[in-house]
Amino acid sequence: MTWSRKPKPTVAAHLKRCGVPRRDFLQFCTQLMVAAPWGLAITEKATAAEVAREIGQARRPSVIWLHFQDCTGCSETLLRTSKPDLADLILHVISLDYHETLMAACGHQAEAALSQAVRNNAGKFVLVVEGSIPTKDQGIYMKLAGRPALNVLQDVAAQAGAIIAIGSCASWGGIPSADPNPTGAVGVDEIIRNKPVINLPGCPPNPYTLLGVVFQYARKGTLPELDELHRPKFAYDRVIHDHCPRRAHFDAGRFVMQYGDEGHRHGWCLYKLGCKGPDTHAGCSTRHFNEIPDVWPIGIGAPCIGCTEKHLAFRVPLFEQVPIHDATPPDTYPPVHTTTGSISAPGVAVVSVIGGALGGAAWVAARRFRSEEETASIIKANLQSSQKDNPNEEVR
Amino acid sequence: MGALSIVLSIYRELTGLGRVTGMNDIYAWGIWKTFNTMVLTGLGSGGFSIGIAAWIFFRRKLHSVMRTAVLTSFVAYSSGLIALGIDVGRPWNFYQVLMPWRWNGHSPLLEVAFCMPLYACFPLFLENTPPLFERWLYTWPKFRPILMKFVVPATRLTYPYVIALAYALPMMHQSSLGALMLLGGSRVHVLWQTPFLPLLYVWAAAFLGYSCVLGVLMVSCLAWKRPLDMSILGELARIMCWLVLSWNIFRFLDILARGQIGAAFAFDRFSLLFWLETLLLVVPSVYLLAGGHWRIPSRLFLADVLIAAGGMLYRFDPTSFAFAARPGAVYFPSAIEALIGAGAVCLALAAFIVAVKYLPILPAPVTAWHDLQEYAQAVHLKWRFKTHDFSYQNRPDLAD
Amino acid sequence: MELTRREALLGVVSRCVPVAAALAVPAAEAAEETPSQPKAPVGMLYDATLCIGCKACVVACAEANDLPRDVSLDGLHQAPEDLNAFTKNIIKLYKPTDNSPDSFVKQQCMHCLDPACVAACPFKALWKNDANGLVAWEPSRCIGCRYCEIACPYHVPKFEWDRINPKIVKCELCRPRLAKGYEPACTSVCPTHAVIFGPREDLLHKAKERIEQSPNKYFENRVYGEHEAGGTQVLYLSHVPFEDIGLPSLGTEPIPARLKWQKRIYKFLALPLLMYAVLASVMKKNWIDHRKEMLEEERRTGLRPQL
Repeated sequence: MTWSRKPKPTVAAHLKRCGVPRRDFLQFCTQLMVAAPWGLAITEKATAAEVAREIGQARRPSVIWLHFQDCTGCSETLLRTSKPDLADLILHVISLDYHETLMAACGHQAEAALSQAVRNNAGKFVLVVEGSIPTKDQGIYMKLAGRPALNVLQDVAAQAGAIIAIGSCASWGGIPSADPNPTGAVGVDEIIRNKPVINLPGCPPNPYTLLGVVFQYARKGTLPELDELHRPKFAYDRVIHDHCPRRAHFDAGRFVMQYGDEGHRHGWCLYKLGCKGPDTHAGCSTRHFNEIPDVWPIGIGAPCIGCTEKHLAFRVPLFEQVPIHDATPPDTYPPVHTTTGSISAPGVAVVSVIGGALGGAAWVAARRFRSEEETASIIKANLQSSQKDNPNEEVR
Repeated sequence: MGALSIVLSIYRELTGLGRVTGMNDIYAWGIWKTFNTMVLTGLGSGGFSIGIAAWIFFRRKLHSVMRTAVLTSFVAYSSGLIALGIDVGRPWNFYQVLMPWRWNGHSPLLEVAFCMPLYACFPLFLENTPPLFERWLYTWPKFRPILMKFVVPATRLTYPYVIALAYALPMMHQSSLGALMLLGGSRVHVLWQTPFLPLLYVWAAAFLGYSCVLGVLMVSCLAWKRPLDMSILGELARIMCWLVLSWNIFRFLDILARGQIGAAFAFDRFSLLFWLETLLLVVPSVYLLAGGHWRIPSRLFLADVLIAAGGMLYRFDPTSFAFAARPGAVYFPSAIEALIGAGAVCLALAAFIVAVKYLPILPAPVTAWHDLQEYAQAVHLKWRFKTHDFSYQNRPDLAD
Repeated sequence: MELTRREALLGVVSRCVPVAAALAVPAAEAAEETPSQPKAPVGMLYDATLCIGCKACVVACAEANDLPRDVSLDGLHQAPEDLNAFTKNIIKLYKPTDNSPDSFVKQQCMHCLDPACVAACPFKALWKNDANGLVAWEPSRCIGCRYCEIACPYHVPKFEWDRINPKIVKCELCRPRLAKGYEPACTSVCPTHAVIFGPREDLLHKAKERIEQSPNKYFENRVYGEHEAGGTQVLYLSHVPFEDIGLPSLGTEPIPARLKWQKRIYKFLALPLLMYAVLASVMKKNWIDHRKEMLEEERRTGLRPQL
């Protein structure tokens, strides 16, 4: 940790001084691009080299990481990166000035480090909050150095340049906020209302989501586009269901009915086991965890629990099905000769009535002719017989 | 019924063809074009076919039914043209029929679109004016001098040319109605599709005209208790039967020549339809001719109805029953469509009845004419000119 | 004087046969006119063996032509079942019930070299471009008679049944795009190049090359549209019978040729005018005889004749 007031060196200069190979840095940048292909200004570049140049020009941002009612899973997820050893890179790429799990200091030294870091970087540092904040009974259920977490957060956040709430707990309360929420656990944005808070929900979220946000802030001073729940759109604008590798099974109607059945072995869709994928905004279906493909809940056969969503995770029972919001478009093809036209019953009725009427009229007319003929022939017969009597009369 | 059809037609204009009719993209022509226009104008060909017999071949007896025939034609054509007007989807562009440079000379439909209205509005209309003038002669004294001085001589001068046109034009468009389905190609079943389709159509129009006028005459006489003149009706019937039989022979020869006689015995719905048409036409004709049954009104009437049905069926088939456009496509007129079509026919009938009651149209025994003359003299109808002035003794220039 | 049937017939025949003969010969020669060929016909070549049924062409066509969505299938998704008033291009699937191979087929206007619809239209609303040969529809001339729908052997023109101002809707090879130098929308998005755009000659050449390179892959080793009904500008290659994918077997004669006798008879209106002349002369004679008879009647009975 530096105590000097000199302007910080750029990331590129620092890496060079620390002897981090450029290839490792480029690989890191590639990972970042894969993790956040669009929506993140810093990675919207054509090549890793360009990204590297961008990041290299950034000054190492100061990051202060606070833990509250957490399980440290979000820090763990950050550590589950290996090419290169990200812990190393993080210490060199960003300046992690306070992190209870990772820092060496403890006790009063740690307290001093926190206040020093806040003072030195006031208005510029990135505050990352992990874990929810208890609010019941003036927040006595979590204390940091004897002070309630509520107050710590308020003090530190007042000086922060950007506030990131990492994990579902910090975003909206997470597991501690599950019913009956005995501690009154809430997310950061319920406490800090006068400053923008970026939520990165997930239990845990993907580490590259955090890095993308941090680097954009470091380089450009801006934050990525957020949705109405203040989640960065580049990571949270889609539901799992729309990018799930098992979607074809869903569309074809192949579902797992029970753990361990034939379908489960074949990797069929887990919707009927209560997978919350259709209702959960997250990027897990495309960016898996631990840098091993298919290492994510659905990939290993466990239905999604919707850990990013406040209305789902730790609220809706695991095996309860969620509604599907966007119906799958039809996958059918019309046949070469499609049916065209239809026969309407009223039409048939009208036509038959008209036809019947005409036929009936013709028949009636014919009968009238016949009856007239009969009358005429009777008259003729009479006349003829009378003519036999009177041959002089003219017969018309 | 007619009023209902007018209302429904307005509705159709306001909502577009699709909602009102049962037509679809495969059967693009519903009953309005095929029935109201093709069949009804076929029935309305009495003016032309009987006229040819009466005037060109100088069958004197038939002159007395000429007026009925021409009126029937006019009324049928008008109704058919109105139905055609309702049927087209963009009638506001129809003014192009008056602009020859916009015509497509290859299209038979153009010929129909141009010739039929021309025929209905010009020669056919003019052929129908003499009864009107006659009525005005007796009932409109102020008009009489103009009538006698200008109208009648003008009519007499131009009449032969107008009538000749009234025979030339129907031959053109009735055959073009047949030519329309030539473009249907193999979708019209082989028992109907032939290069001679135009000829068959105009020939069918001819005998349909006879059968229609015959039927109309008989029904009018029945309805209004007029005596039937069997000699005239018999002449009409005989000409009609000969036309029908020769037509059938030609059609059979044509089918044989094209090698399609097998299709007639295939016993699918097309062959059954073909035999239905043929039987409806041939059996009554032979019956009437062979036993002299044309003398008996009831049998004549029934036979006439059957022949009319057969002829109508023939003209209707290539566009509908025998039009096997594509597997899976069906068509049946919707209720509104049928009502509008039937209503147009009823309007025609209504017009006919009104005209017949108002004007001297129907043939009558000579005694009626005598009575009329006596009446005229009895009420001292004064003529501006001397009596017999309109005889050719005083107007030698008109005599020859 | 009554004209007997024989006299009438003889009179007519003697008058009109020589004249008709004189007129018919040049008429017959002139009537053999072949329709003017477009100068540089362009078209498309669709190879059913390459098509994967992705329907990108359907979407591209709808977008490029600003067509309304056809959601008649489920009320939500744009899934047309057939060419119709909202669909100028469609992908259909031929799937036989036995184990014979199935095939996708792309249907749109074939832009025939001698189109039946152009011959049928009374006011030239459907017209064929002289330069590139595409068949287009002109709204200001159409009367909505739908004769084109009856005439087209491929059932291509579709009518806007549900509108008061109905149009005829059919593929026009993306005329506005062609004018700007682009390809039609469907050919520009096809991911497998199953449908390609180009001058007809080139496409025919390419198609024949493909046939040569893979004999017996393509049905009957021929291109559909080379000669069918006089030739079309949209050509098809298929591994299944053409009839099965909705391409009817038409002869090589163009459809408008069926009207050739009509054309001959009406050439310069010669024969109708001749017929009129004959009729008029006969009528004149009969009319005068009729008047004379009526005069006789009048003298005899003292009664005025009818008008």
